Amino acid sequence: MNARATTGKPLSISGLTKTYDTRTGERVDALGPVSIEVAAGEFLVVVGPSGCGKSTLLQILAGFMKPTDGGASVAGEPIVDPSLDRSMIFQSYALFPWLSVLDNVQFGLRSKSIPREEQRSIALQHLQLVGLQDFADKSIDELSGGMKQRVAIARAFAVNPSILLMDEPFGALDALTRRFLQRELLRIWQERQRTVVFITHSVTEAIYLADRILVMSSRPGQIRKEWRLDSPRPRDLNADEHRQLETEIYSLLDEEVTKTFTWTS
Amino acid sequence: MTSSRQWLTGAARALPFFYAAIVIVLVWEVVVLLTKPDPSILPPPLEVAWTFGHLASDGELAVHTAYSVARVFSAWLLSAVIAIPLGLLMGNSRSLERIINPFVELLRPISPLAWIPMAILWFGIGESGKVFVVFIGTFFPILLSTIAGAKGVDPVLLHAGQVFGCTTRLSLFRRVVVPAALPNIVVGLRVAFGTGWAAIIAAELVAAHSGLGYLIANGMDILRADQVLVGMIAIGVLGFLFDTFFRYLQAHYGRAAR
Repeated sequence: MNARATTGKPLSISGLTKTYDTRTGERVDALGPVSIEVAAGEFLVVVGPSGCGKSTLLQILAGFMKPTDGGASVAGEPIVDPSLDRSMIFQSYALFPWLSVLDNVQFGLRSKSIPREEQRSIALQHLQLVGLQDFADKSIDELSGGMKQRVAIARAFAVNPSILLMDEPFGALDALTRRFLQRELLRIWQERQRTVVFITHSVTEAIYLADRILVMSSRPGQIRKEWRLDSPRPRDLNADEHRQLETEIYSLLDEEVTKTFTWTS
Repeated sequence: MTSSRQWLTGAARALPFFYAAIVIVLVWEVVVLLTKPDPSILPPPLEVAWTFGHLASDGELAVHTAYSVARVFSAWLLSAVIAIPLGLLMGNSRSLERIINPFVELLRPISPLAWIPMAILWFGIGESGKVFVVFIGTFFPILLSTIAGAKGVDPVLLHAGQVFGCTTRLSLFRRVVVPAALPNIVVGLRVAFGTGWAAIIAAELVAAHSGLGYLIANGMDILRADQVLVGMIAIGVLGFLFDTFFRYLQAHYGRAAR
């Protein structure tokens, strides 16, 4: 499917479900069953209406949460705990405000058995990758939202993961910053070729980034449909094929959102 | 250039306090001029300034100040050493919080001042009784704000810590929970120093032969209102300076937690 050299690993999700018990004792089926095979180095984007369980899916893949049923594995290794091998980029950046920019990027390297000097140079190298090498000693509070997310991207790549999990990473940014960071992310991903699972509300973002788009249904979230995209990057979102795809995905999502609103009556 | 500008902004910040101090002295002077009270009840500002200079120059003021500060500082430090680790643990363990919190909630409403008689019965009027009273006054503010800090850590930071290599609870605690709770802890330390400063004066009023509280109580006994006022001024100025110092620490080391 793709001939690019990759250091990513395949991710396999099979029969995954998640059921919550609410405080009132009700059982809520949040997710699944979901089965997905993600190829090594593939950029997978998951789109779905709010509350469809796509964040739950990512939390399980990160190892923060146990599935009710089914499981996920990376190159055959079952996911049980969080791991440096599955790095993550959060919507709210999740940078450590008491550390400098450089120390944030270096945070994940500290638990690897690498000499301090080398950790530092790896962290600097990754700040350079996102264009923030001159901000190494700044504090996090001094950065704009877009810069914070670039630091988070540097931190996520610095630990040399085989999988990157991204939970609506650009959702809190303004439209221009968002476009810029989408381009930046693609550039870095094309350089490093990791397996990516990217969650978003934005259909255009999905079309711009993805090798494959999955659309999830409303709760309990299941895969409604998938599309493979092989148009060359950077993609022109105004091209006819992309416009048409956007319309198709939106009509499917509209259907799902409508369900969540008529469900109560 | 920068340092002179810093000095100027510092002076500008101090200005409102000078203004308040001058107004207080003026009102005081006017009241004395209008009502002509007996100096043993309300002496004029100048007389108090004279007594202040006298007590300051013969070293008596410094000795009493040193006693009060040393008592507050040692009790406050003792509180911090116990309350910060305990608060961090309580903030991280529901079961530990369930076991200890009822004691905290029952004991906390008892003002440190209400402990003074028991402190005298148990410890006499030596140093340990006063340290005990101040300990009661400083322990709870530090404990409560440490618990709040440890419990209030943004869950997404805990997730980030776990993803980026904190594989054990201990390493997550050390690398994420403690630094994230630090701003709250600094606030608790500051508030506690204030309550401790109030508590030591009260304890010294009742049972001491030294300290600023004793200076005041002694002034009352020998009908020297000027001495009482000197003690009060010293308490106010020192309390204000300590609080300013802690605010400075807070601004530099206690970056607001989000």
